[in-house]
This record gives sequence, C-alpha cells and structure tokens, in this order.
Amino acid sequence: MKRLTRDEILKHTALIVLAALTLFPLYFLIITSFKDYDQFIHHFWEPTLPLRWENYVDAWTEVSGYITNSILYATVESLCVVVLSSISAYVFARYNFPGREVLFYLILGVLMIPPVLMLIPQFLVVRWFGLLDTRAGLLLPMIAGGQVFSIFILRTFFAGLPEELFEAARIDGANHFQLYSQIAIPLSFPIVVTIAMLNFVGTWNEIIWPLVVLSREELKPVTTGLLTFQGQFTVTSYGPMFAGYVLASIPLIVVFLFCMKYYISGITSGALKI
Amino acid sequence: MSIRDSVTASKGSRWLKQVKQSRILYLLLVPTFLMLIAFNYWPAITALYRSLYAWDGAFYQQFIGLGNFQEMFSDPIMITSFRNMALLTMGWVVIRVVFPLLGAELVFNLRSAWAQYFYRVIFVIPMVIPQIVTLLLWRFMYGMYGPINEFLRVAGLGHLARGWLGDFDFALPAILFVGFPWIDAFNFLIFLAGLIAIPSSVLETALLEGAVGLRRIVMVDIPLILGQIKLVVVLTLINSIREYQMILVMTNGGPGWATMVPGLAMYQNAFLYGRMGYGSAIGTTLFVILLGLTYLNMRYVQSEIELKA
Repeated sequence: MKRLTRDEILKHTALIVLAALTLFPLYFLIITSFKDYDQFIHHFWEPTLPLRWENYVDAWTEVSGYITNSILYATVESLCVVVLSSISAYVFARYNFPGREVLFYLILGVLMIPPVLMLIPQFLVVRWFGLLDTRAGLLLPMIAGGQVFSIFILRTFFAGLPEELFEAARIDGANHFQLYSQIAIPLSFPIVVTIAMLNFVGTWNEIIWPLVVLSREELKPVTTGLLTFQGQFTVTSYGPMFAGYVLASIPLIVVFLFCMKYYISGITSGALKI
Repeated sequence: MSIRDSVTASKGSRWLKQVKQSRILYLLLVPTFLMLIAFNYWPAITALYRSLYAWDGAFYQQFIGLGNFQEMFSDPIMITSFRNMALLTMGWVVIRVVFPLLGAELVFNLRSAWAQYFYRVIFVIPMVIPQIVTLLLWRFMYGMYGPINEFLRVAGLGHLARGWLGDFDFALPAILFVGFPWIDAFNFLIFLAGLIAIPSSVLETALLEGAVGLRRIVMVDIPLILGQIKLVVVLTLINSIREYQMILVMTNGGPGWATMVPGLAMYQNAFLYGRMGYGSAIGTTLFVILLGLTYLNMRYVQSEIELKA
C-alpha cells in the first residue's frame, strides 16, 4: 500500500512539472500584459500591482479592427462550409444516382492535394478573378478547401442514420429539403458543431494565406495583424503588446468554452471511427 | 462490374432516364463542384504545369522542362531546406509522440477521477490559444530579454544568454524546442481516449498476472493503442513536412538560411522574388513527397483507421 502511494506522489509530481512548463508561456503572457515598463524590468517573474489596465485600452485601439475581421472571416467561412458540405454530403449519403461514386471520389481526391501546393496557384486564380485584397478573395478558396473534409465526415454520419426515419417522414409528405433540415441535420448536430468549430479555429489560425492575399490594413485578420502590430511597439512597451495578444485570444477561448465538449469528442472519436 | 459493363448498352436509355430523374440532385452538387473547379482542380493543374516554366507570374514566361527541378537540387539554399525539413520532421515525430503518450499514461494511471479531469483540462488549454499568439510568445521567450535568457542570468549562467533564434547553431534546435514539453493537445487526447477504451477486464487480468507500472505500459497498453500511435505518427509526419507557417513567424528562415524549409523557400521565391515557376516546382516536389508518404501509409500502416488528412 505504501509503495502505491509513493507511486501516486511521483505521478503527481511529474504531472505538476509538465503542467507548469506547459502553462508557463501563458502565465507569463498574462502577468506581463498588466505591467508597465518599470514593473516588467524589476519584477520579471511575478505578478505585480497595480494592474495596468491602460495596456488593454492602448492595445484595443490597435487590435480591435483585426479581431472584428477575424470574427467575420471565421464565422462566414465556417457557416458556408457547413451549409455547402452538409447539402452535398446529404445528397451523396441518402440518394442513389448515376455517377455518384465517381463524383464522390473526385471530391475525396482533393484531400490528397496538400495546401502547400495550392498557395501559389490559388493566389493566381484569385488574382485572375480580380479578387486580390478583398474579403471574397480571402474566403472563397478557404471555403472551397474546407468543405472537402466536412463532406467526407458528414456523408458517413448521414449514411449511418436509420432509413426508417426518412421513410416515415416521406410517407407523411416531407420533401427533400425537409428531410435534410428536419431529420438529417438535427440528428447530426454534434458533428455539425464540431465541423463548424474545426473550420472556425482553422480560419482563425491561418497565417500565410491572408498574408499573401490581403495587404490593406483594414482587411487584415488577427494573425497578419499581430505580425505588423508586433513591429509598431518598441522594446519598452511589452505590456500593451501582450495585452493585444490576450485580446486576440479571447474570441477563440469563448468559442471553445461553449463547444469544447463537441470538439474533443469530435477529434477523439471522429478522427478514429470515420 | 463486368456484368454491369456487358449490359450497359441495353441500359443506355434507362441510364439517361435516371440521370434526368436525378437532375435536382446534380443541381444541389453544383455549388460544391463550382468551388472545387475554380479553387482546387484548376489551381492544382496550374501548379503542376507551371513548375515546368520560368515565370514571373505576369509577362515573362518560358518553358524550361525540368530546369526548375535541376536548379532546385543544386541550389545550396534548397539543399539546406530539405535537410532542415528532414531534421525537424525526425525530431517532431519523436517528441510529439513520446511526450503526449507519457502525459496520457500519467493521467490515465491517476487514481482520482477528479485529478484526471483536472490534468486533462490543463493539457488542453494551449489548444484554445491562437497559434499566432503561441508562436509570438515563443519568439519572445527566445529573445535577448526573454524568460530563457533571464533564467540563465539568474542561474549565474549569463554568459550563455544569446538571441537564440538569431544564432546560426541554435536557431534550428530552438525551432524544435518550441512548445516544450510538447504535450500536444490533439495527440494527448487521442492517446488518452485510446487508453480509456481499453476494457477494464484486460487491465485487471494484467494486474493479476503481475504486469504493473512500466511493464504493463509496454506489454499491454502500447500494443492495445497501436492504432492510435500509428495514426499520430503519420499525422505528425505529414504535418511536419508541410510546416512552414511556424518558421515564417519565428525566424523567416534565418539567420541566413539556417532554418529555411522548402515551403518557406517556395513562399519567398514566389512572393518576394517573383519566381512563380520555381516556387511551383518546390510546391510540386513537396506534393510528390507527401503523396508518396500517403501511399505508403495507406498500403502499409492504415488498416482499420481512416485518416484525418
């Protein structure tokens, strides 16, 4: 019994060390965001009082535009992906029609093309459409690419729904759209939320694509915005800079707070059982 | 398939009728395919054939066959890039599998359910921070006045302090070190889910047979979550090969080209030096490498598990 408790203490010690190291950058981010230069220099490691809330005020004027843009981009992208991919996935999963297999493999094939190959030619296509430095130019290729994986997942889910439900609704006179919107979607709600979230997070974290497509300051999302933002501050203003980082993280944290459960069950079961 | 083929002719008219009946279905697929044609199929084809051109993306273009590829393999920057990519990939595949597995085992073996939940939340927290913030934070950590150097000064090792990302010898290891202790949330959760799915009867039997601690992990746990381990290895491998966003933020390939990787070289050639053809050739090479890996994976690794590629 004694040996077992010693084991337990060892495990906890190891986990505490790992957890502390994992969280250290975040700890440092938060305490520094509340410091002025003097506090930063003299109290490097520990939190200090008074809290310099004015850092956040300064940072907000710098990053609020980027945050609004990112919220807009991530919301529009994930909504469009969910709508487009759920319709296509529904058609592939619940209907039989000539050419179904071929068309589905044409979609799956896109999964084989890595994003790195697409950077240059997608830029050229967006330029060809005259959409460089526009919101549409940023979003359309992201939606096009984002729907593929979602179709793949949703089709499996829709195909697994029992046919009797659809049959019963059909007898009651439901049309195609009602079958889709009132049976397929509600029954797959958790996976739909997961897909929306995966896309939201993916768009929020995209760095290279907006860097290539957007150059107007007022269109920049958080990622490329922060890269510029970093340059505007001198060595003496780490406080406001870090406050800006915190502000840029808040929307994503809020989204995770609401949907973490879906997200975790989605990536742990979804990634393995598809 | 062959039976169907032999009766195709007689079925021709019926097939046409079916197509007509399903026209609403095709119509519903039109948006998806319009998007794919415009932003995926067409660009993919462009990328492949443009890699055979010397092209500035605008007016100057000349077909040069495999010239871009020849140049690539004699270009010292590209050779370093591929070497860096190989080193980083090997490093990441080891540490981003071993440490999350270690974390998952530690959490799984805790006795208190509450403590399990607590640590699980802790290791998932970094996932909710935008990647750009994490990267900029690490850039700061490595800076002249960042926590790593401050720590060295406090420890009396001030002479070792340096701008880690600007140092020719340390920049690449520093990139590898980002995210220490590398308990990647995604990999961690996959492993933990796999461990939790082990039937308790198996664990009880293992206990009765005297397989405890490390012995049980090696003899029982690892064989039972081998599927998850393979999945994580393959995903980490693929992600490491195509990673360049992170390096763009951390060092932009520098100092010199000490941390250059092929993806970043592609980006710089295309968008800074106007060499769209050469950039496309680099992209094509990465594509071929990834396609080869995907093939090997589907052929030899992937059995019952499907990939989130």
